[in-house]
Amino acid sequence: MKKTLASDWLAGCSGCHMSLLDLDERLLALVEHVDLTATPITDLKRPAEAGVDIGLLEGAVNNSSTETVARRMRRCCKTLVAFGDCAVFGGIVTLRNRVPAADALRRAYIETETTVDGRIPRDEELAVIQPARPVGDVVAVDVCLPGCPPASDAIEHVLAELIAGRTPSLKGTLLDWH
Amino acid sequence: MTTNQEIVSTAPPVNLTINGQPVQGRPGQTVLEAAAAAGIHIPTLCHHPALPPEGSCRVCLIEIERQRGLQPACAFPVAQGMNVRSDTEKVIAARRFALQMIFSERPHYCMFCQVSGGPAETDCELQRLAYEHGIDCWDYPPDAAKPWPVDASRRYFVMDHSRCILCRRCVRACAAIAANHTLGVLHRGTRSMICADDDAPLGESSCVSCGTCLQVCPTGALIDRTAAYRGHAVTGRRTRASCLGCAVGCGIEAVTRGNQLLRIDGDWTAPNGGLLCVTGRFEALDSGRHRVTTPMLRRNGALEPVGWDEALTAVAGRLRTAAGVGGLASPRMTTEALVAFTCFFNEVLNSDEVGLLRGEVPPLDLGATATLADVARADCIVIVGGDPLENQKVLGYLAKRALDRGARLVVVSDAATGLDDRAHLRLRLDSVAHAGATPFELLRYSYHLRLDGISQLRSQIQTAARPVVMYGGGLSTAVHAALRALPDKTRFLPLIEGANAAGAARLGLAPRPLRQEVLYVLIGDDLPNGHALPAADFTIAQAAYHTSWTEKADALFPARTWAEKEGSFLNIEGRECTLVPILEPPHHIEPDWVTLTRLAAAMDRPFMLGAISDNADSPLARPKEATRPS
Repeated sequence: MKKTLASDWLAGCSGCHMSLLDLDERLLALVEHVDLTATPITDLKRPAEAGVDIGLLEGAVNNSSTETVARRMRRCCKTLVAFGDCAVFGGIVTLRNRVPAADALRRAYIETETTVDGRIPRDEELAVIQPARPVGDVVAVDVCLPGCPPASDAIEHVLAELIAGRTPSLKGTLLDWH
Repeated sequence: MTTNQEIVSTAPPVNLTINGQPVQGRPGQTVLEAAAAAGIHIPTLCHHPALPPEGSCRVCLIEIERQRGLQPACAFPVAQGMNVRSDTEKVIAARRFALQMIFSERPHYCMFCQVSGGPAETDCELQRLAYEHGIDCWDYPPDAAKPWPVDASRRYFVMDHSRCILCRRCVRACAAIAANHTLGVLHRGTRSMICADDDAPLGESSCVSCGTCLQVCPTGALIDRTAAYRGHAVTGRRTRASCLGCAVGCGIEAVTRGNQLLRIDGDWTAPNGGLLCVTGRFEALDSGRHRVTTPMLRRNGALEPVGWDEALTAVAGRLRTAAGVGGLASPRMTTEALVAFTCFFNEVLNSDEVGLLRGEVPPLDLGATATLADVARADCIVIVGGDPLENQKVLGYLAKRALDRGARLVVVSDAATGLDDRAHLRLRLDSVAHAGATPFELLRYSYHLRLDGISQLRSQIQTAARPVVMYGGGLSTAVHAALRALPDKTRFLPLIEGANAAGAARLGLAPRPLRQEVLYVLIGDDLPNGHALPAADFTIAQAAYHTSWTEKADALFPARTWAEKEGSFLNIEGRECTLVPILEPPHHIEPDWVTLTRLAAAMDRPFMLGAISDNADSPLARPKEATRPS
C-alpha cells in the first residue's frame, strides 16, 4: 500500500516547494513510493480531508487564514512535517513582528512609494493579521525540516525515512538552516 | 593569568584523566586548557582564549568524578587524580539543553543575520554548535512578538540585542583587553541586557569604538556595517599585516574577498594582542574617497588625465628647468619609498631640500626602549609631554590595562591629556626640568625651589619594579636630561607621531619649512586633516586620493594605498613592521619608488637604489631587484 502525501503553504515564498521540485529525476522514484494527493504545485487534487500519511507545511502562520490551513493539515495527516525555516522557526516573515500590525498595514497599503490614495482593506471575509510564528506554535509538529530552502538532499532524506516508517534525523551537511 | 602561569611553571605537573585518556596539566590551568593541550575538543561558547573565563553559557559542562553536578570546563581548575568525562550521555544532553535554553531567550532568526551560514561557512558560533548538536528546531520557542532594541548610534558597528546571548565576551573584552569598562550588564535574570555606561546609547557613551567587542562576539549581535552581508569571514582570505594608522604598528588580520577589503581584525599573536583602535579597525576601511587613477597635468587651470609618458616628460622638463626643488613626504610612506625619495633628491636633483609633511620623533637615546608588552605589565607609567590616548591609542589602552592591574600613573604635561583623571600624580613640565641642566638653569630652578616635581617623579620610579616612561616631542633639553638621569631599570617609549616618522628620522628626514620654486610631495594615501601644503610655483604630487592637497597640484601621479603596499616601517619600539599587500592595486598604479625611478629615467639621470644600503638583504635594497614597469 503506497503512502500518501499532501502539502500546503502558509506565509512563505514557495521556495521550499521549488526545492522539492529540485529533486528532479528523483521525483520519479518518489512517486513510485508515495501518492501526491494535494499540493499547491500539482493540478490534480484529492481533498485532503480524506486523510494522508505525510503532510508538509511551508511558511509561517501569520493570520487567521494561514492558521486555518495549518489546523486543517494537522487534522488530515498522520505525520506533520514543518517544511523550511518559516515553518520551523518563523523565518523571514517574523521581521514584521518588530513593528505593530497597524504600522505594518499602513506601510504596505498607504505609505508605499507607488501608492496613490491607498487604504487598508477591511472586510469580514479577509483574514485577520496575527504575529508571525512557526507552525509548531499553533499545532503539534512531528518532524522539523529546516533550511531556507531545505536542500533537496535533505528533503529526499526526510521523505525516504518517513516512507520507510522511520523517524528522520538530520545530521552533517543535511542540517543547514541559514 | 600570565603571571600566575609564570609563578607555577616550575611546579610539578598535574595528572588527570579526560575521557579515559591520561592528560598532564599544569597547576592553575583549567580543565579546558589541559584538554585543548592534549588535543581533546570540549565545545565552548562564552569562552574565548584571550579573555578571562566566565562560565555563563554552560556549553562546556563536564562530568567530574566526586563532584556534585556538572562543572564548566572553562572555569574549573585541574587537580591531581581528577577523572573528567566530556562525552557521556548526561553531558551531551546537558549541553544540548543549554543550547536550547539560549535559543529560547531571544529570537535567533538566522535567515536575516549577517553571520548565518551553512555548517561549513557560518561565522556564528551558536549556529555552529547547533549544527554539531543536531538541533533542527527550538524546543522552547522564544516570544516571537517581543521586540528587542537595536542600537545603531555608532558609526561603524551596530548592536542588535535580539541576537545577543549574554555570553559577556564583549563586556570582558571591553574591560580586560581595551581597559575601557564601557560595557556592562543591566538588570538580572531574563531581563539582563548588555548596556553601555549607565544605559546610554552606545554612540553617546564612553565607548571609543576600538571594536574589540565586535571581534570577539560569537553571534551576529554586533554588526560590522562594512563587512555585513558581503560574505562569511571564515571563507574570506585572511592576510596578516601591519596597521599604518600610527607609529604603534599594530598587527592586523585583514579579511578580503574578490579584492575587496571586508574587515580588519586585531592579530591575536602580534604584540598588540588583538587590540586595535578606531583608526586601524574602521577608519582604514572608510570608503567614499575619490581615487587618483591616472597621471594628471594642470591645463587651463584644471587637472586633466594624461598618459604616463606625457606626464613623466612634462614633470621631468619642469624639474630640469627649476631653480630649486623641495620635497616633502608623508610619514605614512614605507622606508623603501622614503629611501627612493631621498635618493631621487640627492642623486637626481642634487638637492638636500627633503623633509616630512608632518610627524614628530622625540630623541631616541634617553635609555633602554620599552616594548608594548612592557607597557601592559608596567607597575609605574610616566607620561611626559604627550597624549597616547589621543595619538597612539592602542598604547593608551595598554597603559590603562596596566593601571587596572594596580600600576601607578604620573602625568607630566602642561596640556590636558586623556589620562589625567587616572593620574596618581600630576606634574608640570618645568617642575621636572632641572636635573642635569645647565648651571644657569640649575640656579634658576633651585632659586625658585622647583625641586618637588623631579623628586616626586624619582621616588615613584624608585619604588616601582617595572617603570615605563612615555615621552612626547617638543620637550626641552632640560627635561630630556632629567629623564636620562632616571634609574637604569626605567624603560622609555617615544610617543612618535606619524606611522614611519622613526624610519624617516633614521634617513635624516624630519618636518621642515620649505620655500622652493617647485615642490614635490609624496602623499600616498595620507589625508590633509586641515593641514595645508607650503606654497610653490609648481607642485608635483604622488597621491592615492583626491584631497585638498591634490587640488593645489600642477602635476599628479597616482599612488598605492596602504593596503596595496609592500614594504616596511619602523614603529615606536624601533621594531620593523612589515606591510604585506592585502589588495591588488588598480592597473597601472606603481609603487612610489617605481614612479620616482621612471621620472629619473625620463630626466636621463637614472639612479641606483641599492647603492645606499650596504646590506643586500636589507629591505632598503629590495627595490633594486624588482623589475621595472614597461
